[in-house]
Amino acid sequence: MKQPTDEERLLSVEMNRRDFLKRLGYASAVALAAGGAGLALYDSKGPAISRVQKVLTGLGDYTLRGISSGPGKMAIVRGTDRALMFARGVKALGGMESFIQKGDRVLIKVNAAFATPASLGATTHPEVLAAVAGLCVKAGAAQVLVTDNPINNPDSCFEISGLAGAARAAGARIIAPRAALFAPVSLPEGKLLQNWPVMAGAFQGVTKVMVVSPVKDHHRAGASMTLKNYYGFLGGRRNVFHQDINGIITELAQLLKPTLCVLDGTVSMIANGPTGGSLSDLKETGTMVVSTDPVAADAVGLELLGRSLADVPYILMAGKAGAGQADYRQLNPVLLNTKA
Amino acid sequence: MAHRKAKVGAVQKRTGYGIIAVLGLITIWLLFQQTRFNPAVLVAMRPPLLQGRAQAVSGQTLVATAALLPEVPGFKPLAPTESYGPENLSDKIDGKDELYLPAGFKEMSCRKFNLDTAADKTFVEVFIYDMGSAANAFAVFSGQRRPGSPSIPLTANAYATGNALFFTQGRYYLEIVADRASKTLPGSLEAYATALLAKIPSEGGQANPALLFPKEGLAQDSVRLLATDVFSMEGLNNVLTGEYHLKSGNATAFIARRDAPDQAQAEARRYLDFLAANGYQKVQTPAAAGDISVLALDNSFEVVLVQGRIMAGVHDATSVDVALDLAAKLRPALKERP
Repeated sequence: MKQPTDEERLLSVEMNRRDFLKRLGYASAVALAAGGAGLALYDSKGPAISRVQKVLTGLGDYTLRGISSGPGKMAIVRGTDRALMFARGVKALGGMESFIQKGDRVLIKVNAAFATPASLGATTHPEVLAAVAGLCVKAGAAQVLVTDNPINNPDSCFEISGLAGAARAAGARIIAPRAALFAPVSLPEGKLLQNWPVMAGAFQGVTKVMVVSPVKDHHRAGASMTLKNYYGFLGGRRNVFHQDINGIITELAQLLKPTLCVLDGTVSMIANGPTGGSLSDLKETGTMVVSTDPVAADAVGLELLGRSLADVPYILMAGKAGAGQADYRQLNPVLLNTKA
Repeated sequence: MAHRKAKVGAVQKRTGYGIIAVLGLITIWLLFQQTRFNPAVLVAMRPPLLQGRAQAVSGQTLVATAALLPEVPGFKPLAPTESYGPENLSDKIDGKDELYLPAGFKEMSCRKFNLDTAADKTFVEVFIYDMGSAANAFAVFSGQRRPGSPSIPLTANAYATGNALFFTQGRYYLEIVADRASKTLPGSLEAYATALLAKIPSEGGQANPALLFPKEGLAQDSVRLLATDVFSMEGLNNVLTGEYHLKSGNATAFIARRDAPDQAQAEARRYLDFLAANGYQKVQTPAAAGDISVLALDNSFEVVLVQGRIMAGVHDATSVDVALDLAAKLRPALKERP
């Protein structure tokens, strides 16, 4: 016997008014229940951050074993050839192989804050980035990443400063800021860094961190070097922190313990920082600091700017907070001269 | 009438199950996305106003400075004009906004160019800051004056360095900055500056604040207008200063014009109280007469005097002699310009 098709079955069904009303009633009840539940559960304020997502308390400790417990290492190298100065400095500290092992994923934090050419000295010099990234690759790093959050058109900042080109040439990859990289960070007992968006996503899978910074005058902070460079990890309207610039840099110093810091004072911006603009704002100070201690590195940088620890309070404050040693001589720095 | 239940076919069933499965997947996706909800991202990625192109300041008027940047032959634009207001100036110049904001900053526009008439391509960026008044423009101009850089006759307040021009015109402060110096660069930058000045509305003649100071011993190009918290005293604003190198030593002269004589008197008293609170002691000198007050701390000497609507004086003199010498020169200069 032939089975009726679906269409025939459907056509054979007679619906009376009672069926129709019942079905209409059921559908309305379901729609009302769904709408009511949505209305009841609607939270116009949105969830509190701490209840929704685990808030980070820092960006990590990337110091080498043996250094985190004792005094840091430092080399102060005089010269004019940035690549040579870095090579000599890192060699004096045990060679790049003592910092980077095969398979390491390295994050290099540069200062790419401005879309200005390297010759104006407002950003990390691409020659230093090329030297650092190149030696990381040579030492066996599986991946070298370069990052900063310049806020103002990051792509333009990386390209015009020459940092993007230097990264590409060295086999490194630029991580430009994007929404997914930011996560709320609260520094335990911090006064300013509470639930503040920080570019924590750039640290995903990272095993070593290097901070490569220029030496610059800074209108608000007094000086912009390694610790001020951490400012570039912050998202949001971070200029609100300018009102307590020493406080925020001190707190930032506690967020991250880098593997190695490179402070490039080959040419320093001694006036009108942090933007500069005139070549007369720059001075050949012929010095590069390679150190495991960011606070000590900045203390050396201050001398290049002709300033004292009293002029730039955040360095002593960061030292007291445990981020490093403000008296850099305690590190017994190795003094080198590439011209000799 | 007999009730007959509607029968559902296999195709309909499969379609129904399919729809339910899709809805279920959407629900799971929504729940998963909610667990990753990050309010911080909303803060982090909130786009600032005015960035990257001419937009409206406070959503009202268009950015006027953007329209003042001319296109000049030889200067090939690299990007659209960018404009910034007080709320996002730091996005462009970071902590240097602290120099501009207290000095009355209104808005800034800038544009990058390649100067392709040079032997190799020179990067040039032009900035125009609307500071609200000529005095405010002079404050930021003088606050960044590069020592030793020669003045140029472009405007009343203008100087050049190897790679840049800095000048004011009316309420505008302008910078034309190249990434290198070359023989042909000054001519090219001045050509752009001339075109730029032609677009800036004239606001009458510009006074040179250096003319307020006695000439003898005044260091060239040392006159500054300090906008806020001058000499570390909170609320001491809009003070002109000039550096002096006299035979008897070095000192800084200062001049602060106020709206009325009683305001100048009150400001002088407040400054004297501030000095006393910071350990300065009154110095008795036979030469100090009338309303001149002389104070000292260690080897630093201060003189405060009032002349009509002007509070003036000497700051950080290296000796009492140089302090009194400079004060004696200052008073007649003030009388000439009430």
